[in-house]
Amino acid sequence: MITSRFLRAIALSSAVLFGSANAAADAPKDQLKTTIDTILLVLSDQSLDREAKREKITGVISARFNYEGMSQRTLAVNWKKSSQDQRKRFVDLFAQLLQESYLGRIEAYTNEKVEFASEKVKDDRAIVDTFIVTSSVDIPISYKLEKKGNEWLVYDVVIEEVSLVRSYSSTYKDIVMKSGMDGLLSDMEAKLAALRSKETEKAS
Amino acid sequence: MNSLRLLILLPLIFWHSAGYAEASGVLAQMEDPDASAMTDDGDEEFTDEFDDEFEDEFDADGPPPVSDPLETMNRGFFWFNDKLYFYVLKPAAKAFRVLPEDVRASIANFFSHWTSPARFINALLQAKINDAGNELGRFAINTTLGVGGLFDAAKEQAGLRRKDEDFGQTLGVYGFKPGMYLVIPVFGPSNVRDGIGRLVDGVMDPKYIYLDEKPYWGSRAVEAVNEISLDKDTYEAIKRDALDPYLFVRDAYMQNRAGKVAK
Repeated sequence: MITSRFLRAIALSSAVLFGSANAAADAPKDQLKTTIDTILLVLSDQSLDREAKREKITGVISARFNYEGMSQRTLAVNWKKSSQDQRKRFVDLFAQLLQESYLGRIEAYTNEKVEFASEKVKDDRAIVDTFIVTSSVDIPISYKLEKKGNEWLVYDVVIEEVSLVRSYSSTYKDIVMKSGMDGLLSDMEAKLAALRSKETEKAS
Repeated sequence: MNSLRLLILLPLIFWHSAGYAEASGVLAQMEDPDASAMTDDGDEEFTDEFDDEFEDEFDADGPPPVSDPLETMNRGFFWFNDKLYFYVLKPAAKAFRVLPEDVRASIANFFSHWTSPARFINALLQAKINDAGNELGRFAINTTLGVGGLFDAAKEQAGLRRKDEDFGQTLGVYGFKPGMYLVIPVFGPSNVRDGIGRLVDGVMDPKYIYLDEKPYWGSRAVEAVNEISLDKDTYEAIKRDALDPYLFVRDAYMQNRAGKVAK
Protein backbone atom coordinates (compact mmCIF):
# COMPACT_ATOMS: atom_id res chain seq x y z
CA MET A 1 0.00 0.00 0.00
CA ILE A 2 2.66 2.43 1.06
CA THR A 3 4.89 1.54 -1.85
CA SER A 4 2.13 2.00 -4.37
CA ARG A 5 1.31 5.33 -2.83
CA PHE A 6 4.97 6.25 -3.00
CA LEU A 7 5.24 5.16 -6.64
CA ARG A 8 2.18 7.17 -7.48
CA ALA A 9 3.63 10.24 -5.86
CA ILE A 10 6.83 9.81 -7.85
CA ALA A 11 4.92 9.30 -11.07
CA LEU A 12 2.87 12.35 -10.32
CA SER A 13 5.70 14.66 -9.44
CA SER A 14 7.78 13.52 -12.39
CA ALA A 15 4.79 14.11 -14.63
CA VAL A 16 4.70 17.64 -13.34
CA LEU A 17 8.43 18.28 -13.43
CA PHE A 18 9.49 16.50 -16.57
CA GLY A 19 6.14 16.79 -18.23
CA SER A 20 6.64 20.48 -18.60
CA ALA A 21 10.27 20.10 -19.61
CA ASN A 22 9.40 17.58 -22.29
CA ALA A 23 6.53 19.66 -23.44
CA ALA A 24 8.80 22.62 -24.04
CA ALA A 25 8.85 22.17 -27.78
CA ASP A 26 5.25 21.01 -27.98
CA ALA A 27 2.22 22.77 -29.30
CA PRO A 28 0.14 24.85 -26.83
CA LYS A 29 -2.57 22.18 -26.80
CA ASP A 30 -0.14 19.48 -25.68
CA GLN A 31 1.33 21.64 -22.96
CA LEU A 32 -2.10 22.59 -21.68
CA LYS A 33 -3.21 18.97 -21.84
CA THR A 34 -0.26 17.92 -19.69
CA THR A 35 -1.29 20.47 -17.09
CA ILE A 36 -4.98 19.53 -17.11
CA ASP A 37 -4.25 15.80 -17.10
CA THR A 38 -2.00 16.31 -14.09
CA ILE A 39 -4.74 18.21 -12.27
CA LEU A 40 -7.26 15.44 -13.00
CA LEU A 41 -4.75 12.86 -11.82
CA VAL A 42 -4.23 14.71 -8.56
CA LEU A 43 -7.99 15.09 -8.08
CA SER A 44 -8.64 11.38 -8.52
CA ASP A 45 -5.72 10.34 -6.31
CA GLN A 46 -7.36 8.66 -3.33
CA SER A 47 -4.15 8.67 -1.30
CA LEU A 48 -4.06 12.46 -1.00
CA ASP A 49 -6.23 14.38 1.42
CA ARG A 50 -8.03 17.55 0.40
CA GLU A 51 -5.32 19.90 1.65
CA ALA A 52 -2.55 18.00 -0.15
CA LYS A 53 -4.57 18.00 -3.36
CA ARG A 54 -5.13 21.74 -3.16
CA GLU A 55 -1.47 22.37 -2.58
CA LYS A 56 -0.37 20.21 -5.51
CA ILE A 57 -2.95 21.70 -7.87
CA THR A 58 -1.97 25.24 -6.89
CA GLY A 59 1.61 24.43 -7.88
CA VAL A 60 0.57 22.91 -11.20
CA ILE A 61 -1.65 25.86 -12.08
CA SER A 62 0.92 28.47 -11.13
CA ALA A 63 3.41 26.91 -13.55
CA ARG A 64 0.98 27.23 -16.46
CA PHE A 65 -0.65 30.60 -15.71
CA ASN A 66 0.86 33.97 -16.44
CA TYR A 67 -0.53 35.87 -13.47
CA GLU A 68 1.27 39.08 -14.32
CA GLY A 69 -0.11 39.07 -17.86
CA MET A 70 -3.60 38.44 -16.51
CA SER A 71 -3.27 41.20 -13.93
CA GLN A 72 -2.06 43.69 -16.51
CA ARG A 73 -5.00 42.93 -18.78
CA THR A 74 -7.50 42.94 -15.93
CA LEU A 75 -6.48 46.33 -14.63
CA ALA A 76 -6.02 47.79 -18.14
CA VAL A 77 -5.59 51.59 -17.75
CA ASN A 78 -5.38 51.32 -14.01
CA TRP A 79 -2.28 49.15 -14.40
CA LYS A 80 -0.46 52.04 -16.02
CA LYS A 81 -1.60 54.42 -13.28
CA SER A 82 -0.49 52.15 -10.45
CA SER A 83 2.82 52.26 -8.61
CA GLN A 84 5.25 49.36 -8.75
CA ASP A 85 4.32 48.42 -5.23
CA GLN A 86 0.58 48.42 -5.97
CA ARG A 87 1.15 46.29 -9.06
CA LYS A 88 3.10 43.75 -7.09
CA ARG A 89 0.46 43.54 -4.41
CA PHE A 90 -2.27 43.26 -7.02
CA VAL A 91 -0.59 40.39 -8.89
CA ASP A 92 -0.09 38.56 -5.63
CA LEU A 93 -3.67 39.00 -4.41
CA PHE A 94 -5.20 38.34 -7.81
CA ALA A 95 -3.28 35.09 -8.17
CA GLN A 96 -4.50 33.92 -4.78
CA LEU A 97 -8.10 34.89 -5.52
CA LEU A 98 -8.05 33.09 -8.85
CA GLN A 99 -6.61 29.99 -7.23
CA GLU A 100 -9.27 30.03 -4.53
CA SER A 101 -12.12 30.30 -7.05
CA TYR A 102 -10.55 27.77 -9.40
CA LEU A 103 -10.01 25.23 -6.64
CA GLY A 104 -13.51 25.78 -5.33
CA ARG A 105 -14.94 25.06 -8.75
CA ILE A 106 -12.75 22.21 -9.89
CA GLU A 107 -13.59 20.14 -6.82
CA ALA A 108 -17.19 20.12 -8.02
CA TYR A 109 -16.10 18.64 -11.34
CA THR A 110 -13.92 15.83 -10.02
CA ASN A 111 -15.68 13.09 -11.94
CA GLU A 112 -16.09 14.84 -15.25
CA LYS A 113 -14.13 14.32 -18.43
CA VAL A 114 -12.26 17.02 -20.32
CA GLU A 115 -12.29 16.86 -24.10
CA PHE A 116 -9.81 18.78 -26.20
CA ALA A 117 -11.24 20.28 -29.36
CA SER A 118 -9.41 22.64 -31.72
CA GLU A 119 -6.26 24.65 -31.31
CA LYS A 120 -5.51 27.90 -33.11
CA VAL A 121 -2.04 29.40 -33.14
CA LYS A 122 -0.92 32.75 -34.47
CA ASP A 123 2.65 33.84 -33.87
CA ASP A 124 3.12 33.65 -30.13
CA ARG A 125 -0.56 33.56 -29.21
CA ALA A 126 -2.90 30.62 -29.14
CA ILE A 127 -6.47 29.61 -28.28
CA VAL A 128 -7.21 26.05 -27.19
CA ASP A 129 -10.85 24.97 -27.05
CA THR A 130 -11.92 22.34 -24.54
CA PHE A 131 -15.17 20.93 -23.20
CA ILE A 132 -16.02 19.69 -19.75
CA VAL A 133 -18.36 16.80 -20.44
CA THR A 134 -21.04 16.39 -17.78
CA SER A 135 -24.04 14.06 -17.73
CA SER A 136 -26.35 16.63 -19.27
CA VAL A 137 -24.34 19.42 -20.89
CA ASP A 138 -20.91 20.05 -22.32
CA ILE A 139 -19.39 23.23 -20.95
CA PRO A 140 -17.11 24.97 -23.45
CA ILE A 141 -13.91 26.35 -21.95
CA SER A 142 -11.30 28.11 -24.08
CA TYR A 143 -7.83 28.90 -22.88
CA LYS A 144 -5.90 31.82 -24.31
CA LEU A 145 -2.17 31.35 -24.16
CA GLU A 146 0.94 33.28 -25.05
CA LYS A 147 4.44 32.00 -25.55
CA LYS A 148 7.11 32.91 -23.03
CA GLY A 149 10.39 31.27 -23.96
CA ASN A 150 9.47 27.67 -24.62
CA GLU A 151 6.36 27.66 -22.49
CA TRP A 152 2.82 28.47 -23.48
CA LEU A 153 1.24 30.30 -20.55
CA VAL A 154 -2.46 30.91 -19.96
CA TYR A 155 -3.45 34.58 -19.76
CA ASP A 156 -7.23 34.20 -19.97
CA VAL A 157 -9.87 31.52 -19.52
CA VAL A 158 -13.14 31.85 -21.42
CA ILE A 159 -16.03 29.79 -20.01
CA GLU A 160 -19.19 29.74 -22.13
CA GLU A 161 -18.01 32.89 -23.92
CA VAL A 162 -17.38 34.63 -20.60
CA SER A 163 -13.80 35.79 -20.23
CA LEU A 164 -12.35 35.65 -16.76
CA VAL A 165 -10.20 38.71 -17.38
CA ARG A 166 -13.05 40.78 -18.78
CA SER A 167 -15.39 39.86 -15.95
CA TYR A 168 -12.94 40.79 -13.25
CA SER A 169 -11.93 43.82 -15.24
CA SER A 170 -15.32 45.54 -15.23
CA THR A 171 -15.99 44.92 -11.55
CA TYR A 172 -12.51 46.08 -10.55
CA LYS A 173 -12.78 49.15 -12.71
CA ASP A 174 -15.94 50.19 -10.88
CA ILE A 175 -14.25 49.73 -7.53
CA VAL A 176 -11.11 51.65 -8.49
CA MET A 177 -13.30 54.48 -9.73
CA LYS A 178 -15.18 54.62 -6.43
CA SER A 179 -12.46 53.94 -3.89
CA GLY A 180 -9.13 54.06 -5.69
CA MET A 181 -6.47 51.43 -6.21
CA ASP A 182 -5.79 51.01 -2.50
CA GLY A 183 -9.51 50.56 -1.92
CA LEU A 184 -9.52 47.73 -4.45
CA LEU A 185 -6.51 46.10 -2.83
CA SER A 186 -8.11 46.14 0.60
CA ASP A 187 -11.39 44.80 -0.85
CA MET A 188 -9.43 41.94 -2.39
CA GLU A 189 -7.67 41.24 0.89
CA ALA A 190 -11.01 41.15 2.70
CA LYS A 191 -12.48 38.81 0.08
CA LEU A 192 -9.52 36.48 0.32
CA ALA A 193 -9.76 36.39 4.11
CA ALA A 194 -13.49 35.62 3.87
CA LEU A 195 -12.88 32.80 1.38
CA ARG A 196 -10.14 31.33 3.56
CA SER A 197 -12.23 31.42 6.74
CA LYS A 198 -15.07 29.63 4.92
CA GLU A 199 -12.52 27.14 3.75
CA THR A 200 -11.30 26.35 7.27
CA GLU A 201 -14.91 26.02 8.39
CA LYS A 202 -15.45 23.42 5.70
CA ALA A 203 -12.25 21.55 6.50
CA SER A 204 -12.87 21.32 10.24
CA MET B 1 -50.58 33.88 -16.90
CA ASN B 2 -51.03 35.33 -20.33
CA SER B 3 -51.28 38.68 -18.67
CA LEU B 4 -47.85 38.01 -17.15
CA ARG B 5 -46.45 37.59 -20.63
CA LEU B 6 -48.07 40.79 -21.75
CA LEU B 7 -46.71 42.54 -18.72
CA ILE B 8 -43.21 41.60 -19.73
CA LEU B 9 -43.76 42.24 -23.41
CA LEU B 10 -45.22 45.73 -23.22
CA PRO B 11 -42.45 47.45 -21.30
CA LEU B 12 -39.94 45.65 -23.48
CA ILE B 13 -41.36 47.13 -26.62
CA PHE B 14 -41.64 50.53 -25.01
CA TRP B 15 -38.10 50.48 -23.71
CA HIS B 16 -36.85 49.21 -26.96
CA SER B 17 -38.28 52.03 -29.02
CA ALA B 18 -37.50 54.70 -26.43
CA GLY B 19 -34.11 53.53 -25.33
CA TYR B 20 -32.76 52.28 -28.59
CA ALA B 21 -31.38 55.55 -29.90
CA GLU B 22 -29.35 56.44 -26.84
CA ALA B 23 -28.39 52.89 -26.01
CA SER B 24 -27.16 52.17 -29.50
CA GLY B 25 -24.64 54.98 -29.21
CA VAL B 26 -23.07 53.55 -26.08
CA LEU B 27 -23.35 50.02 -27.30
CA ALA B 28 -22.07 50.62 -30.79
CA GLN B 29 -18.70 49.26 -29.77
CA MET B 30 -20.22 46.48 -27.69
CA GLU B 31 -20.17 44.06 -30.57
CA ASP B 32 -17.82 44.03 -33.43
CA PRO B 33 -19.92 44.22 -36.60
CA ASP B 34 -17.27 42.16 -38.38
CA ALA B 35 -17.60 39.41 -35.84
CA SER B 36 -21.34 39.11 -36.26
CA ALA B 37 -21.05 39.05 -40.03
CA MET B 38 -20.85 35.48 -41.15
CA THR B 39 -17.36 34.52 -42.08
CA ASP B 40 -17.15 30.89 -42.96
CA ASP B 41 -13.52 31.37 -43.71
CA GLY B 42 -11.81 30.09 -40.60
CA ASP B 43 -8.58 31.93 -41.16
CA GLU B 44 -10.21 35.30 -41.53
CA GLU B 45 -12.33 34.84 -38.46
CA PHE B 46 -9.26 33.83 -36.58
CA THR B 47 -7.33 36.94 -37.55
CA ASP B 48 -10.24 39.11 -36.47
CA GLU B 49 -10.42 37.36 -33.17
CA PHE B 50 -6.78 37.96 -32.43
CA ASP B 51 -6.84 41.55 -33.60
CA ASP B 52 -9.87 42.27 -31.44
CA GLU B 53 -8.15 40.79 -28.50
CA PHE B 54 -5.11 42.88 -29.02
CA GLU B 55 -7.17 46.01 -29.17
CA ASP B 56 -9.23 45.04 -26.12
CA GLU B 57 -6.36 44.33 -23.91
CA PHE B 58 -3.78 46.95 -24.59
CA ASP B 59 -5.33 49.96 -26.23
CA ALA B 60 -8.81 50.37 -24.87
CA ASP B 61 -9.43 50.96 -21.19
CA GLY B 62 -11.04 47.62 -20.55
CA PRO B 63 -14.36 46.21 -21.73
CA PRO B 64 -17.04 48.54 -23.11
CA PRO B 65 -19.66 49.70 -20.60
CA VAL B 66 -22.98 47.90 -20.30
CA SER B 67 -26.07 50.07 -20.65
CA ASP B 68 -27.93 49.71 -17.35
CA PRO B 69 -30.06 52.80 -16.71
CA LEU B 70 -32.51 50.73 -14.66
CA GLU B 71 -29.84 49.47 -12.28
CA THR B 72 -31.82 50.29 -9.14
CA MET B 73 -34.85 48.32 -10.30
CA ASN B 74 -32.68 45.56 -11.73
CA ARG B 75 -30.88 45.17 -8.42
CA GLY B 76 -34.28 44.86 -6.74
CA PHE B 77 -35.32 42.05 -9.07
CA PHE B 78 -31.89 40.47 -8.73
CA TRP B 79 -32.42 40.39 -4.98
CA PHE B 80 -35.87 38.85 -5.50
CA ASN B 81 -34.52 36.17 -7.84
CA ASP B 82 -31.71 35.44 -5.39
CA LYS B 83 -34.26 34.71 -2.65
CA LEU B 84 -36.38 32.69 -5.05
CA TYR B 85 -33.31 30.60 -5.89
CA PHE B 86 -32.23 29.93 -2.31
CA TYR B 87 -35.66 29.49 -0.71
CA VAL B 88 -37.71 27.82 -3.45
CA LEU B 89 -35.80 26.53 -6.47
CA LYS B 90 -32.72 25.17 -4.76
CA PRO B 91 -34.61 23.20 -2.07
CA ALA B 92 -36.84 21.79 -4.83
CA ALA B 93 -33.74 20.88 -6.85
CA LYS B 94 -32.21 19.15 -3.83
CA ALA B 95 -35.39 17.11 -3.42
CA PHE B 96 -35.13 16.26 -7.12
CA ARG B 97 -31.71 14.79 -6.50
CA VAL B 98 -33.32 11.66 -5.07
CA LEU B 99 -33.65 10.72 -8.74
CA PRO B 100 -30.46 9.18 -10.17
CA GLU B 101 -28.37 11.58 -12.21
CA ASP B 102 -28.93 9.53 -15.39
CA VAL B 103 -32.66 9.95 -15.05
CA ARG B 104 -32.34 13.68 -14.55
CA ALA B 105 -29.98 13.94 -17.51
CA SER B 106 -32.62 12.20 -19.60
CA ILE B 107 -35.29 14.61 -18.42
CA ALA B 108 -33.02 17.49 -19.47
CA ASN B 109 -32.32 15.81 -22.82
CA PHE B 110 -36.02 15.34 -23.39
CA PHE B 111 -36.90 18.99 -22.81
CA SER B 112 -33.97 20.14 -24.91
CA HIS B 113 -34.83 17.72 -27.72
CA TRP B 114 -38.29 19.08 -28.32
CA THR B 115 -37.10 22.66 -28.63
CA SER B 116 -35.01 21.50 -31.58
CA PRO B 117 -37.41 23.06 -34.16
CA ALA B 118 -36.75 26.52 -32.69
CA ARG B 119 -32.96 26.01 -32.93
CA PHE B 120 -33.32 24.73 -36.49
CA ILE B 121 -35.45 27.69 -37.58
CA ASN B 122 -33.10 30.18 -35.94
CA ALA B 123 -30.07 28.60 -37.61
CA LEU B 124 -31.86 28.92 -40.95
CA LEU B 125 -32.84 32.52 -40.25
CA GLN B 126 -29.16 33.25 -39.64
CA ALA B 127 -28.24 31.43 -42.86
CA LYS B 128 -26.09 28.99 -40.88
CA ILE B 129 -26.75 26.07 -43.17
CA ASN B 130 -24.27 23.73 -41.50
CA ASP B 131 -25.74 24.36 -38.06
CA ALA B 132 -29.25 23.86 -39.40
CA GLY B 133 -28.16 20.53 -40.90
CA ASN B 134 -26.49 19.60 -37.62
CA GLU B 135 -29.70 20.32 -35.72
CA LEU B 136 -31.82 18.37 -38.21
CA GLY B 137 -29.47 15.39 -37.95
CA ARG B 138 -29.55 15.57 -34.17
CA PHE B 139 -33.34 15.68 -34.18
CA ALA B 140 -33.61 12.65 -36.47
CA ILE B 141 -31.09 10.57 -34.52
CA ASN B 142 -32.35 11.49 -31.07
CA THR B 143 -36.01 10.98 -31.98
CA THR B 144 -35.22 7.43 -33.13
CA LEU B 145 -32.02 6.08 -31.54
CA GLY B 146 -32.39 8.48 -28.64
CA VAL B 147 -35.90 7.15 -27.87
CA GLY B 148 -37.85 10.34 -28.34
CA GLY B 149 -35.07 12.54 -27.04
CA LEU B 150 -34.37 10.79 -23.74
CA PHE B 151 -30.79 10.11 -24.78
CA ASP B 152 -28.36 12.27 -26.69
CA ALA B 153 -27.40 9.55 -29.16
CA ALA B 154 -26.47 12.17 -31.75
CA LYS B 155 -23.61 13.36 -29.56
CA GLU B 156 -22.56 9.95 -28.27
CA GLN B 157 -22.75 8.06 -31.56
CA ALA B 158 -22.31 10.64 -34.29
CA GLY B 159 -20.42 13.40 -32.50
CA LEU B 160 -23.09 15.98 -33.32
CA ARG B 161 -23.00 18.46 -30.48
CA ARG B 162 -25.93 20.71 -29.64
CA LYS B 163 -25.39 24.31 -30.62
CA ASP B 164 -27.61 26.86 -28.93
CA GLU B 165 -29.46 29.07 -31.34
CA ASP B 166 -32.29 31.34 -30.32
CA PHE B 167 -34.20 34.31 -31.65
CA GLY B 168 -32.21 36.79 -29.56
CA GLN B 169 -29.10 35.62 -31.43
CA THR B 170 -30.94 35.83 -34.74
CA LEU B 171 -31.82 39.46 -34.01
CA GLY B 172 -28.20 40.05 -33.03
CA VAL B 173 -26.97 38.65 -36.34
CA TYR B 174 -29.42 40.98 -38.10
CA GLY B 175 -27.68 43.90 -36.40
CA PHE B 176 -29.94 44.58 -33.43
CA LYS B 177 -27.95 45.88 -30.47
CA PRO B 178 -28.65 44.23 -27.11
CA GLY B 179 -30.19 47.40 -25.67
CA MET B 180 -30.32 47.99 -21.96
CA TYR B 181 -29.70 45.25 -19.42
CA LEU B 182 -32.79 43.88 -17.71
CA VAL B 183 -33.31 41.54 -14.80
CA ILE B 184 -36.70 39.90 -15.22
CA PRO B 185 -38.39 38.57 -12.07
CA VAL B 186 -38.34 34.75 -12.03
CA PHE B 187 -36.69 34.53 -15.47
CA GLY B 188 -33.40 36.22 -14.61
CA PRO B 189 -30.90 38.29 -16.58
CA SER B 190 -31.80 39.52 -20.04
CA ASN B 191 -31.75 42.58 -22.21
CA VAL B 192 -34.22 44.24 -24.55
CA ARG B 193 -33.21 42.20 -27.58
CA ASP B 194 -33.08 38.85 -25.82
CA GLY B 195 -36.31 39.53 -23.94
CA ILE B 196 -38.09 39.82 -27.28
CA GLY B 197 -36.16 36.77 -28.48
CA ARG B 198 -37.37 34.70 -25.54
CA LEU B 199 -40.99 35.50 -26.29
CA VAL B 200 -40.59 34.48 -29.93
CA ASP B 201 -38.79 31.26 -29.00
CA GLY B 202 -41.45 30.59 -26.37
CA VAL B 203 -44.14 30.60 -29.03
CA MET B 204 -42.14 28.06 -31.10
CA ASP B 205 -41.88 25.73 -28.10
CA PRO B 206 -44.06 22.61 -28.53
CA LYS B 207 -44.89 22.81 -24.81
CA TYR B 208 -46.49 26.20 -25.44
CA ILE B 209 -48.27 24.95 -28.55
CA TYR B 210 -49.65 21.67 -27.21
CA LEU B 211 -50.06 22.12 -23.46
CA ASP B 212 -52.74 23.98 -21.54
CA GLU B 213 -51.77 26.76 -19.21
CA LYS B 214 -51.26 24.72 -16.04
CA PRO B 215 -49.33 21.80 -17.53
CA TYR B 216 -47.28 24.31 -19.52
CA TRP B 217 -46.06 26.25 -16.49
CA GLY B 218 -45.75 23.02 -14.54
CA SER B 219 -43.46 21.52 -17.16
CA ARG B 220 -41.41 24.69 -17.27
CA ALA B 221 -41.00 24.56 -13.51
CA VAL B 222 -39.91 20.91 -13.70
CA GLU B 223 -37.47 21.78 -16.47
CA ALA B 224 -35.92 24.61 -14.44
CA VAL B 225 -35.71 22.67 -11.18
CA ASN B 226 -34.26 19.64 -12.95
CA GLU B 227 -31.62 21.82 -14.58
CA ILE B 228 -30.65 23.33 -11.23
CA SER B 229 -30.42 19.82 -9.76
CA LEU B 230 -27.83 18.94 -12.43
CA ASP B 231 -25.91 22.17 -12.03
CA LYS B 232 -22.94 22.16 -9.71
CA ASP B 233 -23.75 25.18 -7.61
CA THR B 234 -22.61 27.72 -10.20
CA TYR B 235 -24.62 30.53 -8.67
CA GLU B 236 -23.33 29.75 -5.18
CA ALA B 237 -19.77 29.95 -6.52
CA ILE B 238 -20.46 33.32 -8.13
CA LYS B 239 -21.90 34.64 -4.88
CA ARG B 240 -18.89 33.35 -3.01
CA ASP B 241 -16.20 34.60 -5.37
CA ALA B 242 -17.47 37.83 -6.87
CA LEU B 243 -16.89 41.15 -5.15
CA ASP B 244 -20.29 42.25 -6.49
CA PRO B 245 -22.43 39.33 -7.76
CA TYR B 246 -24.88 41.66 -9.51
CA LEU B 247 -22.12 43.21 -11.61
CA PHE B 248 -20.55 39.83 -12.27
CA VAL B 249 -23.79 38.28 -13.52
CA ARG B 250 -24.57 41.35 -15.62
CA ASP B 251 -21.20 41.35 -17.36
CA ALA B 252 -21.13 37.58 -17.74
CA TYR B 253 -24.60 37.59 -19.28
CA MET B 254 -23.76 40.35 -21.78
CA GLN B 255 -20.46 38.67 -22.73
CA ASN B 256 -22.10 35.30 -23.12
CA ARG B 257 -24.75 36.70 -25.45
CA ALA B 258 -22.33 38.79 -27.50
CA GLY B 259 -20.13 35.71 -27.88
CA LYS B 260 -23.02 33.54 -29.00
CA VAL B 261 -24.14 36.11 -31.56
CA ALA B 262 -20.62 36.24 -32.97
CA LYS B 263 -20.43 32.45 -33.34
